Amino acid sequence: MRELELTITQNIKIAENIYRMDFSLTEGVGAIQCGQFLNLSLNRPDLLLKRPFGICSYDKDGRSITICYQLAGKGTQEMSTMQAGDKLMATLPLGNGFKLCDSYKKVALIGGGVGIFPLLSVPLNYPDKEYYSFLGYRSKSFVCMKKEFEAFCCSRIATDDGSLGQKGNAVELFLSNYDSIKPDVILACGPTVMLKALKKGLKENNINTPAFVSLEERMGCGVGACLVCVCQLEKREGVAANARVCKDGPVFNILEVEL
Amino acid sequence: MIKPSLKVNICGIEFNNPVIAASGTFGFGREYSEFYPLSLLGGISTKGTTLKYRAGNLTPRIAETASGMLNAVGLQNPGVDAFIEKELPFLRASGTRIIANIAGNTPEDYMAIAERLNGKVDMIEMNISCPNVKVGGIAFGILPESVNSITRAVKAYCTLTPLIVKLSPNVASISENAKAAAEGGADCISLVNTFTGMAIDIKKRRPLLSNITGGLSGPCIKPIALRMVYEACKAVKIPVIGMGGIMTASDAVEFLLVGAQAVQVGTANISNPLAIPQIIEGLERYLAENKINDINELIGGLLTD
Repeated sequence: MRELELTITQNIKIAENIYRMDFSLTEGVGAIQCGQFLNLSLNRPDLLLKRPFGICSYDKDGRSITICYQLAGKGTQEMSTMQAGDKLMATLPLGNGFKLCDSYKKVALIGGGVGIFPLLSVPLNYPDKEYYSFLGYRSKSFVCMKKEFEAFCCSRIATDDGSLGQKGNAVELFLSNYDSIKPDVILACGPTVMLKALKKGLKENNINTPAFVSLEERMGCGVGACLVCVCQLEKREGVAANARVCKDGPVFNILEVEL
Repeated sequence: MIKPSLKVNICGIEFNNPVIAASGTFGFGREYSEFYPLSLLGGISTKGTTLKYRAGNLTPRIAETASGMLNAVGLQNPGVDAFIEKELPFLRASGTRIIANIAGNTPEDYMAIAERLNGKVDMIEMNISCPNVKVGGIAFGILPESVNSITRAVKAYCTLTPLIVKLSPNVASISENAKAAAEGGADCISLVNTFTGMAIDIKKRRPLLSNITGGLSGPCIKPIALRMVYEACKAVKIPVIGMGGIMTASDAVEFLLVGAQAVQVGTANISNPLAIPQIIEGLERYLAENKINDINELIGGLLTD
């Protein structure tokens, strides 16, 4: 992980409230693992904290990087006004990403809302897998990155209001298609309520497929020092313990974390 | 040109420079050692350590406020024995000064932790000012009488290691509390800890922190912290370590000018992992530009006439 200056090369709206920001780096950060994130400084002293974003695409040397973000508060509002050429400091790459062993051939990607974006990076590290994606959006106007997923995936979409694809959420979409696919591994990213539903759904349907989830939590330093973004691990021999989402995660085995 | 000296001596302990990582923002140093050698630092005040493991508060533990942040971590830490066994050897090898920050629920807790750490670290910093725990913490730090009595009780166990008392700013008179610590036998005081504050999500009508209230830090508190450090420096003869919203070298210079012999930097690490090395470089530059050979000439150099 390094602290580096990023130059915005593009900042465009790609769906309702959702933007894509591309960066170039004069100094490459080297190899990035899919599912890792960056912590972005906003150049505004009143907006003191960095903002964490999953990295959705990158080149081999880490010289060009893409993130996507949804307007959610002051920070992302500020970001939406930034222009190509603007420079921002960031700490990257951070956290433990998705890791796939060779025996996993069929990979199910389950993403909800902005959680779909980090999943786009998985084939960058693992180009030779068979991918199936299950993407959940609020409604048709929020749908984005559809073509990008279709380029490497057999991709299905659900919307909360049924305005595109199946009506419902990404987890329901996945569960209704599970039998026809039987993936070797599940990678999921989305709001905690979605990951909770996935954990419950896998248990109720006796699905023992290994599943890895990328968690979301309010963060501070992003490097594991301030202990702000903790999650609870499932008790081991009755002993509870915390893990840091930024440093020990954000990707955890679904069986290891309490959701 | 001669390179200016940044060395300071506090209670007989020599620090390479007066910039110390503040407790709670720097863990036990491991994470930031991936960015720069910890030997660059003046020292590290470690994450507040209690007698036994503490899980801390539920999340969210952080909220941004205008030019500041609220935190309510709640002293998550592995406990003093795990600190000594697992973290101290790494810190020892890092070549920086180690200040063990300690916290407890009862005076006996503090005494037991101090006894275990006595002689094992460079200084002990007694945190009687944590706003984020239900018992202990700040309770010992509010009234001057309780500051005096807990300082006296804990100092008895710090026979080999100088004791710093970290004061809360959430008090009636910082001067009185500084004096109470000094009279209780503190070798040094540090201030300020965070200001108790809160923030609310008005759409949900809920507090932004699970703990409801938290400790406010960052540039928004700096003028108040500076005034309190100024008052404390006037009130006592023992060394004072100043902190509160220091983001840059010029912020650090302000605290040194009012009489702080060293500064701690906390929140700045969270927004910029390179904050402390940049502040140290900036101090060196300030001294060189102002033809000051020794940083000690700057300490207490405020002109008010």
